[in-house]
Amino acid sequence: MIEVQGITKSFGTTLALDEVSFGIDKGEILGFLGPNGAGKSTTMKIITTFLAPDSGTVKVDGIDVLEQPLAVRGRIGYLPENVPLYPDMNVQEYLTFVGRARGLDSVHLKQRLDWCVEACGLVTEFKKPIGDLSKGYKQRTGLAQALIHDPDILILDEPTSGLDPLQIMGIRDLIKSLAGHKTIIFSTHILQEVSPVTDRVVIINEGGIIADGHLDDLARDAMGDQRVILGVRGAPGNVEEGLRGLPGVNSVKVLDAPGLDSNRGSRLEVRGPFDGDLVGAISGLCRERGWEVTELREAMFSLEDTFIELTRRSLGANHSRARGVA
Amino acid sequence: MRNTMTIFKREYAAYFNSPIAYIFIIAFLVLNSGLFMTGFFLNQVADLRSFFGNLPFFLIFFIPAVSMRLWAEDKRTGTFELLMTLPMPARDIMLGKYLAALAFYLVALAGTLPLVVMVAALGNPDLGAIWSGYIGSILLGALYLGIGTFTSGLTRDQISAVILGIMACFLVFILGVGGVAATIDGWIPGLGSFLQDFVGLANHFDMMLRGVVSIGDLAYFLGLTALFLTLNTLWLEGRKY
Repeated sequence: MIEVQGITKSFGTTLALDEVSFGIDKGEILGFLGPNGAGKSTTMKIITTFLAPDSGTVKVDGIDVLEQPLAVRGRIGYLPENVPLYPDMNVQEYLTFVGRARGLDSVHLKQRLDWCVEACGLVTEFKKPIGDLSKGYKQRTGLAQALIHDPDILILDEPTSGLDPLQIMGIRDLIKSLAGHKTIIFSTHILQEVSPVTDRVVIINEGGIIADGHLDDLARDAMGDQRVILGVRGAPGNVEEGLRGLPGVNSVKVLDAPGLDSNRGSRLEVRGPFDGDLVGAISGLCRERGWEVTELREAMFSLEDTFIELTRRSLGANHSRARGVA
Repeated sequence: MRNTMTIFKREYAAYFNSPIAYIFIIAFLVLNSGLFMTGFFLNQVADLRSFFGNLPFFLIFFIPAVSMRLWAEDKRTGTFELLMTLPMPARDIMLGKYLAALAFYLVALAGTLPLVVMVAALGNPDLGAIWSGYIGSILLGALYLGIGTFTSGLTRDQISAVILGIMACFLVFILGVGGVAATIDGWIPGLGSFLQDFVGLANHFDMMLRGVVSIGDLAYFLGLTALFLTLNTLWLEGRKY
């Protein structure tokens, strides 16, 4: 649905995007991740035809953004990072304006208005001046604006920035409810926001894509080992040694040591390669030694760990590249 | 056309959604009529020549203040990004904004019509010259607004937009002044009179005050206005790169 091919963009002497390529299939939701200033917004501005790339091509639904920008714009609903609102209009006037400007006739406009206002939770604010709305409602109005013409593609730049947790959940649910019908790219620098909505991510840093794929795969690639959390009770102090003796265990870390209170057990983190049956081996050991297991599970890699690792690697790559040039 | 109408409606309403519009119009009428009336009873001539004669200088300050928000405000608040990703050409949006500002100016100008009634009641004015004066004033406002729309597109700051607009309008005004043209002719023979004819507005406007509306003068106003509006559109299109 969207094909980004080797786009490069610089502002003055600053290289904002360097040969960025990725693609999204119809109906897919893509989390576009990266620290502030990584190039997320610039990429989105290029896809929405607000900016033109210096080189490279972007095709939306098979249409080149440079050749037929108007056709591309018609297919996209766009929420820029800086929510574009007219404070002097009320929500109804504003959405009507955007709907008309996007070519909706009166009948469709009425239907879409009703749907958007309902879906974005704006019923109580419908007649209020936008200037008087809270940050959360402003964000929702911006989202309603992007949805008004029922576009196939949604480009949402930091749709949850500055919102409280409850509002974030609301926006998340809304995005999830659109899954399957619409192709969505949403950007964020807050990692926890991605996993509840989608597992397809593209990570960008310093103008270059450093990862593209599914979260689990990325985590595996980035971290190398799987982690198993084990909690045992009533065991003698040699748990750690016992685990170290198991085949396929790379490292053991004590998370909670057993205190003087013998009822409290200890918790440990065991790391080993993904291909081995680490959980099975540990559970076998516990049975053999007669330890009472209170917890045994494979720990998910947090997005943070993955992200930090990938960013660190890309920095390393850049440095070695710079050295190579020198 | 539909696109332009949609933008026009929103922009025109934006003028009247804020009290600034009413303050503008009142200031325009009070200052203009006041300036006119001070001389009116002394001269004891029932015409509007001096009223129209004040406009080219007065509007240098008034018009850029009307047009300054057209693009600069959108750029500052972020709605510029919304407009530039709507499925319509930049030209349509530009026209909608420009026509809204022009309509606003026409409302202000219409507020001076009681002066016509007044001079008609007090004497026997040359109505033909008054109507052609109004045509000239409309064209003059249209030209200044074209310049102001262009300068508003150059910046995200309304104050910069208004100052740039005043300077550009002043340039068009001053180049039409005979003394200035003669001075420039003194430096580079022919350049001053060339600029006076093709850029300066005084000669073209004065003809209309005398009741003469010629094709050449119409072409001057419409052509120069179209030039600035085209520059504005090109700037908007070229901004992407």
